[in-house]
Amino acid sequence: MLDLQGIAKHFGGVHAVDGVDLTVKRGEILGLIGPNGSGKSTIVNLVSGLFPLTSGRILFEGDDISDLPSHARVGLGIARTFQNIRLFGQLSVWQNLWVAQNSRQQRQEVFFKRWFGGSAGVQAEIERTLEFFDLAHKRHELAANLSFGEQRRLEFARAISARPNLLLLDEPAAGMNAEEVDQLDARIRKMRDDGFTVLLIEHHVELVMSVADRIAVLNFGRKIAEGPPAAVQDDAAVREAYLGTR
Amino acid sequence: MRTIVCMLVAVAALTAGYPQAAHGQVRAKAAVTCVSAGQVLEYDCTIRLANARSGEPLSGLTVSVGADMPSMPGMHNVRAVKATEQAEKGAYKVRLELEMHGDWAVQIDLRGAVRDRVISMLRFEEADVTDVKPSSGRRGH
Amino acid sequence: MDDYLVSVLSNIGVISFVALSAYLLLLTGEISFGQQAFFAIGAYAAGMATAMWGWPLALGIAWGAAVGAACAVSLGIPTLRLRGLQFSIATLAFAEMVRILFELFRYQVDIDGEPVGPNGTDGFRSIRYIFDHNIETFDFMMLIYTMLAVTLAGFMLLERSRLGVIFRMIGEDATLASLQGIAVARYKVLAAGIAGALAAVGGGLYAHLTTYVEPRTFDVMLGVHSLAYGLIGGLGTALGPLLGVVIDVGLLESVRLFAGYRMIIFGGLVALLLIFRPRGLLDERLVNRIGRLFRNAISGSTRTGRGSR
Ligand SMILES: Nc1ncnc2c1ncn2[C@@H]1O[C@H](COP(=O)(O)OP(=O)(O)OP(=O)(O)O)[C@@H](O)[C@H]1O
Ligand SMILES: [Cu+2]
Ligand SMILES: [Mg+2]
Repeated sequence: MLDLQGIAKHFGGVHAVDGVDLTVKRGEILGLIGPNGSGKSTIVNLVSGLFPLTSGRILFEGDDISDLPSHARVGLGIARTFQNIRLFGQLSVWQNLWVAQNSRQQRQEVFFKRWFGGSAGVQAEIERTLEFFDLAHKRHELAANLSFGEQRRLEFARAISARPNLLLLDEPAAGMNAEEVDQLDARIRKMRDDGFTVLLIEHHVELVMSVADRIAVLNFGRKIAEGPPAAVQDDAAVREAYLGTR
Repeated sequence: MRTIVCMLVAVAALTAGYPQAAHGQVRAKAAVTCVSAGQVLEYDCTIRLANARSGEPLSGLTVSVGADMPSMPGMHNVRAVKATEQAEKGAYKVRLELEMHGDWAVQIDLRGAVRDRVISMLRFEEADVTDVKPSSGRRGH
Repeated sequence: MDDYLVSVLSNIGVISFVALSAYLLLLTGEISFGQQAFFAIGAYAAGMATAMWGWPLALGIAWGAAVGAACAVSLGIPTLRLRGLQFSIATLAFAEMVRILFELFRYQVDIDGEPVGPNGTDGFRSIRYIFDHNIETFDFMMLIYTMLAVTLAGFMLLERSRLGVIFRMIGEDATLASLQGIAVARYKVLAAGIAGALAAVGGGLYAHLTTYVEPRTFDVMLGVHSLAYGLIGGLGTALGPLLGVVIDVGLLESVRLFAGYRMIIFGGLVALLLIFRPRGLLDERLVNRIGRLFRNAISGSTRTGRGSR
């Protein structure tokens, strides 16, 4: 589904991502781990189109999307969350979800319904998402007024609202307590059952090991290992990278 | 395309009831001279009104005089004051209280036999008042 | 009604259009110092239409709005790529350029034996539509307020619509908005076009209200004020910029004590508000809180209503 072919991103002298090949298959959860500064977030930024590649190509469903603007990539069904929560703080929870719902089904709405309040189908969809993320009682609250955990859930909910073919999650468990991580684990599993494809970046090793089908490991902008969770855990290079004995 | 047609129809509907212009109306012209009235920002102005075409003095009108700063549209609202008619035909006198020195557009509103507005551009300074020449730069802000 | 009151209210109404114009751009996160240019374009275009070509007023003002929108869109396409301060400076430069062009612009025709039309730095006198058609100043004020009410109703609809939400999203975080699939550039140009039309409507009304305009009427002073109105009154609702206008033209002006120091007090007020209430008096939080109180009151009363039955 997503094919990264030798992608690189250099910020001046910093080789944040330095020639990575990576494939995400339809319906799988691919975990992407690596030490701080190894280039994980940069890969997500490149796939979502926040800045241009230094070299390499990005294929999505076989098409080269390297030069598409980011809003067009969303249109193809690529949604993401951010490592540091990014919400529209001055808009309500409901409004945050409404505009994110701009996928195929909404394009078929009649003009008036689309621009004023959404059709019954879209409203029901938003309600379902609100329920799923336990945000229904906050629907009129401004996003800025939510607690940290609620904001994380809203960000996740917003990414799901686009009904993406591919979901990029950048450290969704950062700053969560054990209970919240368990909930997150359950939600990600549910999403796999619903047929989502996920690229999951996570520091929380337990979480990745438990939900990911495959794991890729990044270090200094390069991929150093890839495979099933158990194999990656035993990989010598990975241990070295994490223990820092280099 | 459909939107454009809709807009045209709307404009046509809006304009259908517009009043017809009354041509051949008398237009006025004014000569205004002002002097400082002693107090700061107070000026005594003499306005000589005449028919713009024939030059004949216009007397017997209700004349109220306001002022506005061209460099600050709509933001100064000087209360319009009634001018008093003088013995001299077509002459009216008024005392203006302004809010700051600088260029003002003196608005002379006429009512009665003639309804019109005449604008006179004047530069009000501490001691004297002069006509604004286009080339004389900007004053006031 | 008192003539003075009519003139103050008319001025407030006209200035509100430029304030709303700047407000719309502020919503999308753009600080424009150049909305006075579209006010000027609207004033000249509408004035020329009625005074020189004999068009009816409504058509003249609609024409002014169309020209204003067209200019704003053609300015917006290249400049909205610029970010933040660069955009602000580009708008300022454009507005000054427009003003200087109007200083050079001479085009007069003979009407009733008198030359009428833009005459360079002398400006454009004799836009006498309301005198030629015997429209009372009170009636003209009502016209201004009718148009303002329609505009406000439009804003209220906008705030409830998806388009309004998109504008606010772009204003808060354009990158994040593009990650919701929003073609940011297109919506920015749309906002600029609407803002240009609004300012131009204000200009058209102003030209007919005062009967004369001149290039320096459209000095940067007007642009800065219209920007400040939204920042003072608040960016949470379209009533914010109107509150800003009322505070400046209505309140500060009527307190004679401030005469001469008004600019200083106004500047100080803006500075204080930017520090203590960066999104103005009626900001999003306040508007949201009021909205929720309202909703609670409604659902509360229906609940007790049901309970008592
Ligand atoms: N916009 C940018 N400009 C300059 N340097 C950047 C930029 N974004 C990332 N970098 C650099 O690129 C490198 C990789 O950063 P990246 O954020 O991708 O790491 P990461 O693997 O996500 O780390 P973390 O686990 O801390 O989130 C870092 O050295 C970082 O400083
Ligand atoms: Cu002033
Ligand atoms: Mg990161």
